[in-house]
Amino acid sequence: MYYPEPISKLVDSFTKLPGIGPKTAVRLAFFVLDMKEDDVLDFAKSLVNAKRELTHCSVCGHITDKDPCRICDDSDRDGSIICVVQDPRDVIAMEKMKDYRGKYHVLHGAISPMDGIGPEDINVPSLIERLKDEEVEELILATNPNVEGEATAMYISRLVKPSGIRITRIAHGLPVGGDLEYADEVTLSKALEGRRDL
Amino acid sequence: MYIEELTLTNYRNYDKQKVVFDKKINVIIGENAQGKTNLMEAIYVLAFTKSHRTPRDKELIKWDAEYGKIEGRVLKRNQSIPLEVIFSNKGKKAKFNHIEQKRLSEYIGAMNVVMFAPEDLNLVKGSPQERRKFIDMEIGQTQPVYIYHLGQYQRILKERNALLKDLQRKPNADSTMLKVYTDQLIEHASIILERRFQFLQKLRKWAQPIHQGISRGNEQLNIDYDASIDVSEDVNSEKIRIVYEEHFNHIEQKEIDRGTTLVGPHRDDLIFYVNDKNVQTYGSQGQQRTTALSLKLAEIELIFEEVGEYPILLLDDVLSELDDYRQSHLLNTIQGKVQTFVTTTSIDGIAHETISEAEIFTIHEGQLVEER
Repeated sequence: MYYPEPISKLVDSFTKLPGIGPKTAVRLAFFVLDMKEDDVLDFAKSLVNAKRELTHCSVCGHITDKDPCRICDDSDRDGSIICVVQDPRDVIAMEKMKDYRGKYHVLHGAISPMDGIGPEDINVPSLIERLKDEEVEELILATNPNVEGEATAMYISRLVKPSGIRITRIAHGLPVGGDLEYADEVTLSKALEGRRDL
Repeated sequence: MYIEELTLTNYRNYDKQKVVFDKKINVIIGENAQGKTNLMEAIYVLAFTKSHRTPRDKELIKWDAEYGKIEGRVLKRNQSIPLEVIFSNKGKKAKFNHIEQKRLSEYIGAMNVVMFAPEDLNLVKGSPQERRKFIDMEIGQTQPVYIYHLGQYQRILKERNALLKDLQRKPNADSTMLKVYTDQLIEHASIILERRFQFLQKLRKWAQPIHQGISRGNEQLNIDYDASIDVSEDVNSEKIRIVYEEHFNHIEQKEIDRGTTLVGPHRDDLIFYVNDKNVQTYGSQGQQRTTALSLKLAEIELIFEEVGEYPILLLDDVLSELDDYRQSHLLNTIQGKVQTFVTTTSIDGIAHETISEAEIFTIHEGQLVEER
């Protein structure tokens, strides 16, 4: 490297981030050099704090700075409904909707034997434990509508069904505000499959 | 439908080549290794965005170039539509009417092509995989949903096989996950099988009279679908699903022992019979060739039935291999209604009357010259 060591170290650190290649890393590193010292300190602190202070909630597995997390701790929320998602980002997407008042369970992945991920490698066992302890009436399976997400949902449903808890799967099909004529055949046939009585 | 013009840029051995085609028969004459098959391949790629010869798109780019491009104008339902397929290091793009199509399933079908090349004899002689590829390609051309189900099926199959390998090593592990994958596999398998049965019925309907024609009434062609489960062809996907479920239940332990999925569309095959004899094992070279030809000609009619227009026919180095009678039968069948491309090393082996109407091109080191 032609750069002094502090810069090349910074460049190396940036390249560890997803979506950032060597050129962008150099640009970011030089940008940092021009930043105000306070801003840089703040930046560095938030990086460290995000890592140090955040843990996974012992109940639902969502990322949190206190355990149990705010959602699990909120007594106004309906504990009889649990929405199962693959990723903490899915919780945030659901929360933005502001319509859902139940609780969550974050799996941190989906089952995929090809990648060597079995039910024990994601948060399925803790979900089963949770269903034993808590009074749950409905489980909403909101895993992604692809092969892995679908298999994970079906697996959980098979495990939980005997207990009599109501199990639902989120719908997939036409996007809201979309035109029927622009939908592709696959989405359209999914939408037709999931039609309901009015 | 027919191709009005084709422009190749940095494609295989072509630098830059623009050709305007005749809407009936185009004959391309050239010595070996001048680019005849490359030209046929280019038309095929424009229709399917991939080659029939290689799975590696990179090979399609001229060796010293950064990118390769195939552009064409297709006249379909009296409308001239520009199509474009571009290959580069970053992957490929397909454009319909100058607009990039994100999903290939939305692009494929814009132009329908039927190719008959020497390797198509493998359809009869070769491995079951070749015959499955034939059915899948043909159904996919007219039904994009089929491609989706096939893709999902293959994905689930891989996961299921990985799981079966795991279970093989740990015999006492929980088999709930296997049941999940079995259910998912069956969901797509039953639709795939239903569509294949429907396709086969149409294929038979067209191929049988064509075969009789080519063989001067001496040969009766029959096509059987050799399914890995016992089910009759006229049932719907619901019934097929039930049969699959029973079958999978029955063989679960055997599948775990073997560590792989033993039943499903990926293990099925087509069997061709001429006068009740299996052509693959007992047929002569000539019978195998006639069978392959009948299937290809049936395909043309099938696409016409589904799409409402005849596809474009590519005959790569096969016309001269047929005897006079078969040649004229083939040319009579397509006469005037199907745009046809014929490649050959010499014009001598081809029936005279067709040539008199055809547009003739000669090809030399990637340069195409119109003769008349």
